[in-house]
Amino acid sequence: MIESNQDPAAAMSERITFPGASRTLPTGEREFMMDVRTADLEINMGPQHPATHGVMRILIRTDGELITGAQPHLGYLHRCAEKIGENVEWLQYLPYTDRYDYLAAMNNNLGYSMAVEALLGEEIPRRAQMLRTICAELNRIGSHLIAFGTYGLDLGAFTPFLYAFREREWMMALFEKICGARLTYSYLRIGGVFNDTPPGWLQEVEHFCDVFEEKHKEYVDLLMMNHIFVKRTADIGVIPVEMALDFGLTGPMIRGSGIDFDLRRDTPYMLYGELIDAGAFDVVLGSGAKGTLGDCWDRFYVRVMEMIESIKIIRWCLGSIEPGPVIAALPKVLKVPAGEAYVGIENPRGELGHFVVSDGGKVARRVRVRGPSFCNLAVLEAIMPGTLLADAVAIVGSTDVVIGETDR
Amino acid sequence: MEFEGIIQRLREIGAPGLVSTDEPRAADPEDKKDKGRAGDAFVLVEPSAIVGFLAACRDDAELAFDLLVDLSATDPDAADEQFWIDYQLLSTTRRHRLAIKALVAKEGAEIPTATAVYRAAGWHERECAEMFGITFVGHPDPRNILLPDDWVGHPLRKDYEFPTEYHGISCE
Amino acid sequence: MEHGNLIHELLGGVAPEGVPAWAIVLVTAVIGVSLLIGVVSVIAMFSVWLERKVSGHIQCRYGPMYVGGWHGWAQSIADGVKLLMKEDMIPLGADRVLFVLAPALVLGSIFGAMAAMPLAPGFYFADINLGVFFILGMSALTTIGVIMSGWASNSKWSLYGAMREAAQVVAYEIPLGISLLAPLMVAGTFNLLEASEAQSGWFGMKWFVFQNPFLIPAAILFFVAALAETKRAPFDLPEAESELVAGFMTEYSGIRWSFFFMEEYAAMFLMSLVGAVFFFGGFESPFTSLAEWAFVTEAGADGSALRTAGLFELPLLYHVTAGTVLAAKALFGVFLMMWVRWTVPRVRIDQVMTMGYKYLTPLALVVVLFAGTWEWLLS
Repeated sequence: MIESNQDPAAAMSERITFPGASRTLPTGEREFMMDVRTADLEINMGPQHPATHGVMRILIRTDGELITGAQPHLGYLHRCAEKIGENVEWLQYLPYTDRYDYLAAMNNNLGYSMAVEALLGEEIPRRAQMLRTICAELNRIGSHLIAFGTYGLDLGAFTPFLYAFREREWMMALFEKICGARLTYSYLRIGGVFNDTPPGWLQEVEHFCDVFEEKHKEYVDLLMMNHIFVKRTADIGVIPVEMALDFGLTGPMIRGSGIDFDLRRDTPYMLYGELIDAGAFDVVLGSGAKGTLGDCWDRFYVRVMEMIESIKIIRWCLGSIEPGPVIAALPKVLKVPAGEAYVGIENPRGELGHFVVSDGGKVARRVRVRGPSFCNLAVLEAIMPGTLLADAVAIVGSTDVVIGETDR
Repeated sequence: MEFEGIIQRLREIGAPGLVSTDEPRAADPEDKKDKGRAGDAFVLVEPSAIVGFLAACRDDAELAFDLLVDLSATDPDAADEQFWIDYQLLSTTRRHRLAIKALVAKEGAEIPTATAVYRAAGWHERECAEMFGITFVGHPDPRNILLPDDWVGHPLRKDYEFPTEYHGISCE
Repeated sequence: MEHGNLIHELLGGVAPEGVPAWAIVLVTAVIGVSLLIGVVSVIAMFSVWLERKVSGHIQCRYGPMYVGGWHGWAQSIADGVKLLMKEDMIPLGADRVLFVLAPALVLGSIFGAMAAMPLAPGFYFADINLGVFFILGMSALTTIGVIMSGWASNSKWSLYGAMREAAQVVAYEIPLGISLLAPLMVAGTFNLLEASEAQSGWFGMKWFVFQNPFLIPAAILFFVAALAETKRAPFDLPEAESELVAGFMTEYSGIRWSFFFMEEYAAMFLMSLVGAVFFFGGFESPFTSLAEWAFVTEAGADGSALRTAGLFELPLLYHVTAGTVLAAKALFGVFLMMWVRWTVPRVRIDQVMTMGYKYLTPLALVVVLFAGTWEWLLS
């Protein structure tokens, strides 16, 4: 229940202004004519709703179409991944990381592997790093394609969704070739990657990049610059800079508000430092081009344009990848030195943080997962009131939430 | 700024509640039992002063930790007397990180809420509270977030016993 | 030229001596209504199939491909059978009477509107002088059914859908009606048969849009208003599947749900028919002119037949040609509506209202003014 800040009876009598709207009953009570009573409507958006991108529930209080209060309720997909992490061996936990942000499983693998490697202090072979970067960026494209498509779907444009899936299908086929899985890859391992690429795979990735750049122009024309789309998203769900920082938003959410921050560039990990030195990619920022800085359109713009930056990164890696080992020599049953490490990487949705604590044994003491969607979702409570019901959908869509990650 | 610089700056501005620092070190070759410590450096902060400490980190122009990235707790061991509460700060302008740790006693664990400094702490603290049974004093919305409202026990504690039944549904 | 009701004439021709005239009229009505319902249902089912194919091809896929063999032509039939066999569910808290009545009212009113719509020069059931008003009035009646369904469902999402429908239809009835005034001025009649007749000439190309240049903007306005009137994207706010789950249809399933579905496609077809009659020549086209020349016997001034090329005494082939031409025009309109739906996002409710009241209505008025002036100057 959202507690109403108005007493219903007071609100009722306040709104009845004309005489004859009430009458005195034989019992002496005053009865208000019910057909002039107005009250806020509480409505559950979810857990089963087409626009919540999973099983999430938002309790919305509305006055007509106007939202006066919103309260997200989570936990429908809670699997206690963190508890599992304390009960299985280090490497056994890796497949569970696929399951939180299932649209960017490669990035999740990467985050967890890097956190464990921070404790291990192991040197990762260069080819493995290259493959990791390629896979992570390909997966970022796939994830942003979903964000692109489903956002169109939320706003009633069905077709871009299937266009996005066309390219995503290709991306998944590429991953299937390299690791046999289409969604939950577990390909990036602690110490490197699972195996080397099949023959011709890198050429195929290059072909994908060529085609994708062409198709990307279609996305921009078809949806992002569509007049109705701009009208639906510009000036909606504005997150000012202070609010974005206060709520700990990361990733495209914070860049949409114009804050120039990308973990890949600003806390360089893996090969991204080299990439930045080579000028291989730029950080895309929202600029308020179609409305206010930090509105839904800006966030969408950041995601769409980031795909091209990812293509640039992949191209750079394809140009400089060399043969070599793909995984460091590690024992089968891993014993991780005692200590604790927090590693945050740039997931498609923001900072994916893994806080791992080891006591030197085969099993972790604590695996804490900081899911970007979880933090990004918290801002809904602040920006939803005052918008229309249709905007609620636009706002939820612009946070690009994956429920598997908020609930873990 | 590197860790040493941050610590120095924290001492300069007199950040309240700063107890000590802990940095990774190599194993002592003399002592066979000492395996050293890997990973990140962190600062240990007095739990009661955590709000002031966070505010100092955020408001200082040189530190400028404008983002609370993560807040979580750890139950190191069932035999241990204390929970760790870990804060991860990040500065988007200075591009550095800081890990903060506060130790609270398991018995009646409580710590002041950080929501007044970072609203991002709100949901993290709710999660921590339900998973560990830590009270965040002054939290504006202290409901469960991931678990059902009537859930018994705190699952991420090491001494947690998995329930055999929930609302008549057998879990065995 | 004047055409009698084809069925009536056919029956009159074959009826034995002594059958009273009212009986022939009655049988005509029964056959006609059955035919009408059959034709409209088949067209609606065909439109559903067409929508799936059109959307499929727009989205780089095929749509239904298996049922029936050729491009899944029997998919709609299979779906219809499935929907008929589904469990008939009424939610526990629903107002049962209204809940059951609403889909019937919705579908009934659209069939009622169809009754005044001539599908061929000799295939009509009510040659009403104010035919176009009757059609608009009856099709607006579907709104009542939608509001009933939204209220009766006892679901908040349904209620939202119903309220949106009410607001939207009220807003768009106005530009719809006004934009139709422009061709009505050119036609000089509210009767659909006469309006179509007025466009014969120029070898079947004397369409109203070619007679008066201001009818082109009027036709565009009519198209936009018709989209909103039939709840089609980008104005499908009463359904708005991503916002309101399914709007007023949320609680409906099975055959009742399919009534709403049929109504949508029947309404699309009806609006396209009205547009075709009042803007794009109705039955008239070069093919119609050719058929008319080939099959229709005209009486000369002295009473003798000028041309006896007609294959039948009753110019059946001419009627079939004219009907096909009209249906083709209307289906093209339906196709355009589908094209729009699968291309653009949905607008927001306040934008819908703004567009209806602030832009379409004044624009329609201006267009009518100019179209009328043009007519006045020409006459």
